[in-house]
Amino acid sequence: MKKRAGMDTEELSPLRTRGSVKIPPPDHPLTISEWAKLKESSSKPDHFEMQMMTGLLATNADVNIAKSLLAYVVQDKGTLTYELLLRYLTLCVSGGHHSEVFDTYDIMTTCFKTLDTGASSLFIKGFSQTERWREALVVLEGMKKALLPSPRNYSDAIAGAALHGEIETSWMLYDELLELGLVPNQDTWQCLFQSGISQQGQEDKLFSVLSYMRDNQIYPEEPLIKTIKAWFESLPDQKWSGKFSYVAPSGECKNCKASLESIQLTEEEYAELKDKVMKKVIEGSDVFKKTTPEELNSFKSFVKQRPPFDIVIDGLNVANTTPKATHSETLLAVVSELEQQGLNILVLGRKHMLQPSRNWDRQNMNKIKQKAHCFFTENISEDDPFLLYAALHSGVHCNFLSRDLMRDHKACLPDSATRRLFFKWQRGHQLVISHYAPGKRVWFQRISAYDTIIQTSGSSWHIPYDENRGDRATYEVPQKWLCLTQEH
Amino acid sequence: MFLRSCSLALRCRRFTNPQVTIRAFGSSRTARKDASENALDLDAWKSVMRSQALQEDSKIPSRSALDDNRELVEMWHQAGKFVPKNITDEQLEDLAQLTTRSAKKKYLKFLAIKESHKITKKEKQEKKKSEREAGEREQEELRNTFLLKFWSSSLDRVQSWRAAQAMRFGQPLVYDMSYEQHMSRRELENTVAQLMESEGCNRRASDPFHLHFCNLQPNGAYHRELLKRYGSHTWERLLITATERTHLEVFPQRDLVYLTADSKSVLHTFDHSKVYVIGAMVDRSIHSGASLANAKRLQLATARLPLDEYLDWECGAKNLTLDQMMRILMTVKDTGSWKKALEFVPKRKHAGFQQHSSGFTGAAKSRFVRNDSSESRFVRNDSPESRFVRNDSPESRFVRNDSSESRFVRNDLSESRFSARAQNQLKNKTDGRKKQPERAQCREDGH
Repeated sequence: MKKRAGMDTEELSPLRTRGSVKIPPPDHPLTISEWAKLKESSSKPDHFEMQMMTGLLATNADVNIAKSLLAYVVQDKGTLTYELLLRYLTLCVSGGHHSEVFDTYDIMTTCFKTLDTGASSLFIKGFSQTERWREALVVLEGMKKALLPSPRNYSDAIAGAALHGEIETSWMLYDELLELGLVPNQDTWQCLFQSGISQQGQEDKLFSVLSYMRDNQIYPEEPLIKTIKAWFESLPDQKWSGKFSYVAPSGECKNCKASLESIQLTEEEYAELKDKVMKKVIEGSDVFKKTTPEELNSFKSFVKQRPPFDIVIDGLNVANTTPKATHSETLLAVVSELEQQGLNILVLGRKHMLQPSRNWDRQNMNKIKQKAHCFFTENISEDDPFLLYAALHSGVHCNFLSRDLMRDHKACLPDSATRRLFFKWQRGHQLVISHYAPGKRVWFQRISAYDTIIQTSGSSWHIPYDENRGDRATYEVPQKWLCLTQEH
Repeated sequence: MFLRSCSLALRCRRFTNPQVTIRAFGSSRTARKDASENALDLDAWKSVMRSQALQEDSKIPSRSALDDNRELVEMWHQAGKFVPKNITDEQLEDLAQLTTRSAKKKYLKFLAIKESHKITKKEKQEKKKSEREAGEREQEELRNTFLLKFWSSSLDRVQSWRAAQAMRFGQPLVYDMSYEQHMSRRELENTVAQLMESEGCNRRASDPFHLHFCNLQPNGAYHRELLKRYGSHTWERLLITATERTHLEVFPQRDLVYLTADSKSVLHTFDHSKVYVIGAMVDRSIHSGASLANAKRLQLATARLPLDEYLDWECGAKNLTLDQMMRILMTVKDTGSWKKALEFVPKRKHAGFQQHSSGFTGAAKSRFVRNDSSESRFVRNDSPESRFVRNDSPESRFVRNDSSESRFVRNDLSESRFSARAQNQLKNKTDGRKKQPERAQCREDGH
């Protein structure tokens, strides 16, 4: 759900204002009789107060007008509803009227049993901006009943503590946040790094923040990366200097010429991935969903009896690369190109590809069978899990060729660490066809040789970050880096 | 306090009204005095509210998860969010089991919608009642007729006899109730509602099926929900067979056909000797292939309805509800016409019936005949090529010497055997062998 900038309210209930003419709220405080007159002239007198208050909130009006409205309602009805007070509170917090916030807090806690999540969030935000920030922590504790507080709440509380110089408290809140299993906002980190610049002695904790970002493959955004750069450069006696740059496809940083971490997995990571993919993706909860046990066993023996493959091709995916040529032609062209490069090829497909038709020509299929090993699954089985199995069991050097992003198979994996491993393996081993025109040569996209993740070599740090204007999908990685080097 | 605010109002009125125009030109001193008076006025509500402090302030020391959730719902209702006003303990327990904020919100929204439906219904009823009471003045005359009233219990009796007859002599239809793990609570409730609907529709038909609920674990989720909806009295006397044995134990394997939308083979004719199995599952969250997996595991024949052949499909899942399936099968059993049967598919999913060129009616035998003719046509035209394929394989066997490659050749032979036929179900393994001698014959002719 998109967050509305500046306002902390959660989703408000729909007010039925269809068909009624909306009266714009006044631009100066009115007296009680003036409000009464305005109410009479409105078409829906029941919703008048809420309508007015929502209008004031939307236009970010003067708080005195709202106060006059509340005075009128008290006069009219004798008391104020929770909802009205909540909207008034939103106006005060967004406008920064601290005394009003204090008064409203007193009133709401005395008149109502407890606070709801929206009001609590607003109070945490409001109190953190003032000298009564410790009460925000009390409210935060009170929120931990049916629902956990959100990372935004913790972000506001940490900002409040840091603003008033209590670094210990802010770190304690951060640790609590991690313990509850929530993911911190970028604002939280920005606040912590900012406090690191003003107060020394927090290097260890901030380095642990960086390693958290590495372990969870989180990329900082532009404001945060600038603060990180400033922090590094503020460290005394260490003489860090940072520069924004790119990385060459070979894995060399353009700025300092150091090579980055390779994208290949280690032996243990590879074995773990192989095991998890077999258990969760191919077999899953029910092996019959994607294939049958007999087919799986016959495929396993097929792979065992062949020499290890250099490349595994998703036949159906590759065949559909271009609408200009028939499927078997495209597949034959790709297989021929790879055979010329001297690779041991496995082509995976389904049994219907062997039936002669306009798309699957017998001659082409026979030629393909001569150039490569082929395995055809039943038409109702899924061929992707077989692709992953063959590629993983052929060794670290084996690549696979498909345009499929494999997101549905990645989602079958149990935890995020395995998913990140899978994504890393995929980036390092998935070949994609970049150009093919019938009759011409087949061109493949280059696989990156380096891993896009926060990394350090002791005397240098390389941090990839997201640009402000960039729209990055979850299956893509950022291209811009911050290169931090120490001068000796 | 009333007098004080009144006098304040009077004072303000005296000053503000004539000052309205002057304030625009910014006479600051009067404006400030105005503002301060207004401020006094404005903060009056605070004192009013403070005096209304809650009397009960003894907080219950031990708070259970249920109390916390009840409080959450109450405060969200007061804050104006879309949540129900009243919530039962059972619903609170369900709410407590959901962990994320969005899950709780969605469940509460569902309950709020249900509640608002109930409230509007109640209001409508009361309105109707009041109108009726106002309008009913004259008594209804007694009608004279020689026709006896047909009581609904007589109709029930007739239908029960028919259902009993179907249990002894009718065609069985199986609902497979083995999908408890795949469904959420709400989906299970929907499934049971659909089962009730289909059972009712079956009972009212002129020639009912003999319904079996197979894989029904006693005290499982399905059973409990069925008891809750039917009531134990009705459930005991219902004229269906509910058993915890699987359908494979009750019927021989060759008679079973599992109907699932994921199957590759299409059901063209309704076979009166087969037992059709329908998975009792509602999949609002799509579990693609769950029913097919069940069929594959037990190695049953599968089939899907000929939706694409007869309907111009627009948009919508090809999974139909259980009562729609029942009505379709009933109609096709009675009339044999798919056009009439597929009327029961929701109209929003399709744009109308296609113009079917040569309808697949009648027995499967004619289909085999047609296939044979087309197949022989194929062989006659392609005999040089088929010969070419046959000749190719010995050559390739000479070229590649390793044994693994000869296995490829053997695969070639079997696959070319498949390719010579038109696309057909792989139900009967005898199909291929039946065709082979004919091909041999034609080849000899061709020589």
